[in-house]
Amino acid sequence: MKYILMMNTMKSGHGVPEWPRKDLQAHVAFMMAANKELHERGELVAAEGLSFPDQAKLVRAGKDGRPMTDGIFPESKEFLAGFWIIDVDSPQRAYEIAAKVSAAPGPGGAPLNMPIEVRQVMSGPPPDML
Amino acid sequence: MKYILLMSGTAAGVEGYHSRPKQDIEAHMAVLHLINKDLSESGEFVATQGLAGPKEAKVVRGEKNGIPVTDGIFPESKEFLLGYWIVDVPNAERAYAIAGRISAASSNMPIEVRQFATYEATSR
Repeated sequence: MKYILMMNTMKSGHGVPEWPRKDLQAHVAFMMAANKELHERGELVAAEGLSFPDQAKLVRAGKDGRPMTDGIFPESKEFLAGFWIIDVDSPQRAYEIAAKVSAAPGPGGAPLNMPIEVRQVMSGPPPDML
Repeated sequence: MKYILLMSGTAAGVEGYHSRPKQDIEAHMAVLHLINKDLSESGEFVATQGLAGPKEAKVVRGEKNGIPVTDGIFPESKEFLLGYWIVDVPNAERAYAIAGRISAASSNMPIEVRQFATYEATSR
């Protein structure tokens, strides 16, 4: 079963945090170790970070089919900061992994306990839609 | 340059979509398949996935006594990721053009376009 774990942030909180350098390094080292462990267990499909919201665009097709872009978002909008796609045996294992990355260390090494949205990835559209 | 095109919607929007006539849903799916095929042929396709519905979504925050703390109650207004496309294109304009085509095929739904973080993108 494939799951996507999504780390969302608000616009204001989305950027390289202004933590002491050693705390940032500890955070990055924790994430890299977590990814390495998932890879070794054969559970990691993909992990990516996204560029910051100031570069995000919302695109809608115009009347002539041309893309119309908009880069103005409400302050309350949640932005995807990064994601993991994992292939695991059960939803419980997906929640365990989400809890692990949620507790990544922040300033002073304290667990951040960031909310991680967990969603199953479908293998394709339902057969009756093809 | 890799971009992710994100299609999001609310739980009510998902229900509305599923209550459409079967042939409308089939026509929508057929256009999305055609777009995927065109992207494969142009060498720009990396991945696409649809996600399971919002009812099965959970938010996990840390753990208590080694057990993940899960929550599945969301406000009605919450936007959920419905699906995504990852494309590898020469510039942002091409990513917007692909997003425009997906939007036009999908009742002009807005598509969020985000570049993958790179050293250049994050160290300006």
